[in-house]
Formats: sequence, C-alpha cells, structure tokens
Amino acid sequence: MNVLPLMSILTLEAAEGAGHAAEAAGGAEGHEDVAAILMHHVLDQPFFGFPSKHLAFFVFAALIVIVVTQLARLSYKAGIPSGIGSLVETFVVFIRDDIADKNIGHGDGARFTPLLCSFFFFILIAALFGLLPFSATSTGNLAVTMALATISFLAQQWAGISKFGAVRHFVGIVPPGLPKWLLPIMIPVEVLSMFTKPFALMVRLFANMLAGHMVITALLLLVPLMAAISSGFGVAIIPVSIGLSLFIMLLELLVALIQAYIFTLLTAIFIGMYAHPAH
Amino acid sequence: MPTDPKALAYFAAGIGAGLTIMGGAAGIGRLAASAMEGIARQPNAAGDIRGAMIVAAGLIEGVTFFALIVTILLAIK
Repeated sequence: MNVLPLMSILTLEAAEGAGHAAEAAGGAEGHEDVAAILMHHVLDQPFFGFPSKHLAFFVFAALIVIVVTQLARLSYKAGIPSGIGSLVETFVVFIRDDIADKNIGHGDGARFTPLLCSFFFFILIAALFGLLPFSATSTGNLAVTMALATISFLAQQWAGISKFGAVRHFVGIVPPGLPKWLLPIMIPVEVLSMFTKPFALMVRLFANMLAGHMVITALLLLVPLMAAISSGFGVAIIPVSIGLSLFIMLLELLVALIQAYIFTLLTAIFIGMYAHPAH
Repeated sequence: MPTDPKALAYFAAGIGAGLTIMGGAAGIGRLAASAMEGIARQPNAAGDIRGAMIVAAGLIEGVTFFALIVTILLAIK
C-alpha cells in the first residue's frame, strides 16, 4: 500500500511534534523562551541517568553499526550474502571501488577501506537515529565531530608516515620543485592546510546535522507559538507546519546520506594526497 | 537605528542569514546549471556528472554553514 509509509512517517512526525509541543507548552511563550526551547532541543542534555544524551545515542549508533555488520558477515553462505548482507555489501563495495580505489589507488585502497566504511556507516546511522522521536543526533555535537575529524587527521598523517617514514612525510608535504623564495610562503600554507582540512570536515558535518534539526524544531514550534496568539491561528498553522516539517525530514534523510558520503570521500581524497603526493 | 546591543544583534543575524543564503544559492545554482548542460551534451556521462555535482554541492553548503553558524550565534547570544 502506498499510503502505509506516508502514514508511518506522519505518525513519527506527530510523535515528535507532540514531544516538542508538550515541552513548549510547559513554559511561558516569549521570544526569549523560543530561542531557549530551540537550543534546548538541539543541545546536549542528561538522559535517563546518562550525563549526556548525545553520548547515549553515540553508543547506540555504534552498537547498531557493529550489530548490523556482524549480522551481514554471518549471512554469507558459500560466498553469497543474503538479506542484510547484500545491503551492507552494496555499500562496502561502493566504498571500496568508487571511494577508496579511485582516490587512494595504487593498491593502498584496500588498506583504508575498513576505516572509510566505519566512518560512512557510523555517520549515516547516527544521522538516521536523530530522525526518530525523542532522540538526538550524536553527530550534531561538536565534540563528536571533532573526534571523527581527529581520527581522520591521524589516518591522513599515518598514511604518509607509514609509507615514507616520519621525516620524508613532513618534508614531502611541500610540493617538490619549487623555487627557493616560495618556500617561506608555501610551508606555513601547507602546514595550515594540514589542519584546516579536518577542521572543515568537523564543522561541515556538525553544521549540517545541527541546522536540519533546528529547522525541524523551529517549524514544529510554530504551532504553540501561533496558538499563544490565538487558538484559531494555532489550528490553522498545523497542516502548514507538519507539511513543511515532513518535507524537511525527507530532506534530512538525503542530507544524512550525502554528508556521510562526503565525509568519507574527502577523507579518502586527503589520505590519497598524503599517501601518494605529487600525483 | 536601534542602539540596544541585542536589537543590533538580531538585525545583524537577519542580514547575515540573507547574505549567506544569497552566496550559497548563487554558487550552487551555477553548479547545477553547468551540470545540466554537461548532462545534456553527454547523456552517457550523466552518472559521473551527477556524482561530482553532489560532492561539489556538499562542499559549497559546508562553507555556507560556516557562515550560518556565525549568524545563529549572533541571534542566540
């Protein structure tokens, strides 16, 4: 039935909206409080005894990634996967062929594929978790994305150091064959770019996840906001608010996939730049 | 011209958000236009062009979000 997925998405949304509205209606509605409620929904909070909701969902996402991949591994019978194994295999083969081999290449792709798969699956599942009601996106926390970016940075450095040894790696960061007077400019630039690349990865992922959820929260908060002015407005804005939120949530699904892909792709490109410089 | 710092901050946040989206949308619009043109010229390269388009759009949006975070900070603090 074509209606069934739509109904389930709508109930998911109604549940999330009810969660937001229940908390919003509890406090007085002023312009200060709207901002506070908005931030309250996207910032970290304690969660059923856990000090940090983002940490709790970080652990859930990691557990789900481990469980799914182990189930996929176990579903291999005589070299042919079935069920969830074929889904996971599609992604892994895509990462190995189109991301790792194309960008790292020269036989190093297979070495880095497990790391890239971990990044991809974790970011994807953490983002998908954030769409469920009463949950939080763990990658919407700067600390989590900083950790991912640090691992990416260490992988890039290790790629160069394991191939060339520490000294040659750092010396080889600057492209060879430069005129001598260019070196004082190029060395700081290259060192700085070594750090800005993971920094950009961190902020890009964080901002994408945060912005999506703030937009959804803001749209759903329109309902109690309008209802505080007059209950007629409140009722009238409900279909608009839910419709827009539904659209943004579908967009969030797409954004989750794209951001996971971009993080993985950029990590692979940077690893390739350090493992095979002066391509 | 309001002089209350909070009012100025909200004012600045609004203008900042508008400028941010102008820059981001203009860049991604140009990107999409050339991608469409490329696909029209060579339909069998459509898959590669689509992949490259998505990556470039993601990168441009990343930069847009840097600016967006600054405006959100202005509005919240």
